[in-house]
Amino acid sequence: MAIPQQQIRNFSIIAHIDHGKSTLADRLLQYTGAVDARNMREQTLDTMDLERERGITIKSVAARLDYRARDGQDYVLNLIDTPGHVDFSYEVSRSLAACEGALLLVDAAQGVEAQTLAHAYRAIEQDLEIIPVINKVDLPSADVESTRRQIEDVVGLDASEAVLASAKSGLGTQDVLEAIVKRVPPPRGDRARPARALIFDAKYDPYRGVVTYVRVVDGRLQKDQRVMLMSNGERYEISELGFMTPEIRPAEALEAGEVGYLICGIKTLATVNIGDTVTDALRPAEAPLPGYKEILPVVFCGMYPAGTTDIQELRDALDKLHLNDASFRYQADNSDALGLGFRLGFLGLLHMEIVQERLEREFDLTLVTTVPNVEYHAYLTDGQMKVVQSASQMPEPARIDRVEEPYIEVEIITPTEYLSPVIELCKKKRGLHVRVDYLDARRCLAVYQMPLAEIVLDFYDKLKTYSRGYASLEYHMIGYREGDLVKLDILLNGEPVDALSTVVFRGSAEWVGRTLASKLRKLIPRQQFEVAIQAAIGNRILVRETVKALRKNVTAKCYGGDITRKRKLLEKQKEGKRRMKQVGSVEVPQEAFMALLQVGDEGR
Amino acid sequence: MIGVYIHVPFCRTRCPYCDFNRVRIDGAPPDAFVDALVREIDAFDACREAETVFMGGGTPSLLTPGQLERILEAVRRRFDPKAPEMTLEANPDDVTGALADAWRAAGVNRVSLGVQSFDDTALRYLGRRHDAETARRACGIVAGRFANWSMDLINGAHPASSWPATLSECASFAAPHVSCYGLTYEPGTPFGERAHEAIDDETALACYRRSRELLTGYERYEVSNFAMPGFQCRHNLYYWRNLEYAGFGPGAFSFIDGVRSMNETALEAYLARPGRKTEQLRLSEREIRVETLIQHFRLSEGLSRDAYADRFGRDLDTDFGPGLRALTQRGLLEERDGRFVPTESGFELNNEIGLALVD
Ligand SMILES: Nc1nc2c(ncn2[C@@H]2O[C@H](COP(=O)(O)OP(=O)(O)OP(=O)(O)O)[C@@H](O)[C@H]2O)c(=O)[nH]1
Ligand code: SF4
Ligand SMILES: [Mg+2]
Repeated sequence: MAIPQQQIRNFSIIAHIDHGKSTLADRLLQYTGAVDARNMREQTLDTMDLERERGITIKSVAARLDYRARDGQDYVLNLIDTPGHVDFSYEVSRSLAACEGALLLVDAAQGVEAQTLAHAYRAIEQDLEIIPVINKVDLPSADVESTRRQIEDVVGLDASEAVLASAKSGLGTQDVLEAIVKRVPPPRGDRARPARALIFDAKYDPYRGVVTYVRVVDGRLQKDQRVMLMSNGERYEISELGFMTPEIRPAEALEAGEVGYLICGIKTLATVNIGDTVTDALRPAEAPLPGYKEILPVVFCGMYPAGTTDIQELRDALDKLHLNDASFRYQADNSDALGLGFRLGFLGLLHMEIVQERLEREFDLTLVTTVPNVEYHAYLTDGQMKVVQSASQMPEPARIDRVEEPYIEVEIITPTEYLSPVIELCKKKRGLHVRVDYLDARRCLAVYQMPLAEIVLDFYDKLKTYSRGYASLEYHMIGYREGDLVKLDILLNGEPVDALSTVVFRGSAEWVGRTLASKLRKLIPRQQFEVAIQAAIGNRILVRETVKALRKNVTAKCYGGDITRKRKLLEKQKEGKRRMKQVGSVEVPQEAFMALLQVGDEGR
Repeated sequence: MIGVYIHVPFCRTRCPYCDFNRVRIDGAPPDAFVDALVREIDAFDACREAETVFMGGGTPSLLTPGQLERILEAVRRRFDPKAPEMTLEANPDDVTGALADAWRAAGVNRVSLGVQSFDDTALRYLGRRHDAETARRACGIVAGRFANWSMDLINGAHPASSWPATLSECASFAAPHVSCYGLTYEPGTPFGERAHEAIDDETALACYRRSRELLTGYERYEVSNFAMPGFQCRHNLYYWRNLEYAGFGPGAFSFIDGVRSMNETALEAYLARPGRKTEQLRLSEREIRVETLIQHFRLSEGLSRDAYADRFGRDLDTDFGPGLRALTQRGLLEERDGRFVPTESGFELNNEIGLALVD
């Protein structure tokens, strides 16, 4: 029996990272009985191993709740928990498109932070009803009134009716549910029209194949129905559909206004366009729903097999992982130094770290990863533009007219006392001042435009240091701009090593080269022959460091009991050596390829 | 044939760099120890003939002539050595003419003397009980009574500059065998905490090279060991060729029938149950082969294809071809008449050879 749209509420939970979204979701699941007490654990909706270990949400998750409100009526509430980390902002935008309302959580002890603002604006742009929830009121350092003022002054929302909650203790849970029922408008789809459903997410299930998550906007979808993807006209038959409770629960049909899943024989995630519209194949809708902007990777790195891992294993692992996470890109790549491998593109650094970790852990691979970099556009003297995804692809300087690099706009919210160090940091990172707004007596918002490449290295850690952990950050791409960039080469024993070269701002090239060479000297172990490390720009050698040759390495005594002990020790050392890459005649440890990340800005 | 090792775990004082299994004692070792040792030897059940007997420590020169007699009698009963090399390790301050005569009478035909240095400052740095004069006197006594004897020296003790003089003086005694060990600062010893005092690699290398230069008339037949023709230590060759040996006494190691084992180390426990093993490791065929190669490449004789085939019934190149080729290319081994031998760099970077050969 179809549930009238009047009784349906669709909402996302959005907030700055760690403000308690997933914990609030727990309380809602628990209160409405969607998850019984026995199966309840902290952050129930964070099911990936990595999510649980790191205590953060990476993927949005939907759940359907049945709620009898104080007015005595039964409602169906579709909740979507979203991630807070800036790398996964696109997940938030997608989730919001499937909803009419959003709970904007603000940690009462932290106040409004950069992602609070960014996500709130996303929700406002999509015309959603926003319900401010002031969370963690149980904390001794909670300051409800100041938080309320910040929501009004900084975000610009009326917070007089903000719900006070403690997701930890359960305080305010019912108030949250009531606010959703009262304030979030019900969906207003037309159930008589041809079906239209928005694919807002998809995942790969080894048993079921691709499971797509949809919000039905118009009409209805039912089992065995022939459907069509509007972007490419491909047709499928629905073999199963239903709701997430959060466990998958099959149903007969999904009606306009409802959120659920579809399984229809799609083989790989790569063929599903998130944001696509599903319609009836026999009675297609006239126009698709507004979709999503395609999200493109912004950070790139190389990954190469090491130790006993071979290229085929890496390829298989990437193929499999991509079924689960279609948001990273990969293509075969060949490095002179590291051999066959792949060049991968990610949505951000955390995303890169996660993919690398999953590859190593879930597929038991040993990998050498190169330092992340951004995508450059090299405009050549012949008028062509070449996309450069790794320093080694950079054309000869003589052929280059100019190089452009991606720029971002950064919004930093910081307590006023840290404003000047934060500004100093932004300047060091080639930031262009846009404006500083004083949000209230204690905090301000600094807006800067800067090259994305600066953020990729160590900006986030530095920001935390400069502000004692208080500043928060949000950024978005604003396009490409010309940069004064040079390629910095590293030579080992006179041979340039492509995997160690990098594109840097000319002004800091010399300094980066020196620091990098000295880091490498410490990272590359002594070997039988001397290793010369040089940093160079073009033909100009900036610095030379030497790893002295290993001159004596011999155990003086080896008698009865020492023999097996020594063999075992050597075996252990050899295990360590396996994680090194042979570059020419030099053995280079994995960490060396990441050394650039350790090049701070102390000496600049 | 096997080598027999007897561990006498007693020392008058404990040298701060030493990580051997030993306890401090005044005077002679307790008879209870000799009783236990004899019991252990008597109970040994793998029937082998001994080619060598080596009494090490600790300080075997603390044994009374009577104790020594009892131990060697037990060895003869059990292992029936026909023409054994019988070594006893001695500390210079224990050596007297009468005692040395008693050793000879008991059947000892080789003495290894722990001289360590002929420099008083270096000896004090090492925390040794004897001074250079005592060492000289002991050398004289031993040299007068034993055709086959050895001198242990330590290089790398401060002042490092004393090393050439120690070597020259050593050469003047014409000991037929000399061991020169680099000083190590072993964790768990008092020296372990002083590792920062260690001489740098370059100085250590220079000291090492100095030994070869100044010990003319000797062959460096093992990384740290020098011998005049015909005077290699037959017992230690059992270790360096990875052959079988039986060890008795607390903490002694044995390698028999592919099993490497260790005796109970603690003296009390050993006395209660001599011969009880606290570690026993059956090695795989492959492990034995790897260890055999690593050990052989400590020796100037290296390893020949034929010797390998004789011992294992397998082909050396099939088992270790790529590793041996890489080492040859790196100049650490060289091939001569079907035999791989370490080069000079192969001695100085000996661990690199092992590293290339292990799995
Ligand atoms: N004291 C207190 N702690 C809370 C409350 N709500 C959440 N927390 C804690 O805050 C931390 C973050 O909670 P999460 O629910 O994982 O936060 P999140 O917003 O989902 O985080 P991301 O998904 O990574 O953005 C956890 O340690 C929670 O236990 C609350 O009301 N009071
Ligand atoms: S070096 Fe010799 S004498 Fe000194 S403690 Fe060690 S075993 Fe005893
Ligand atoms: Mg979360």
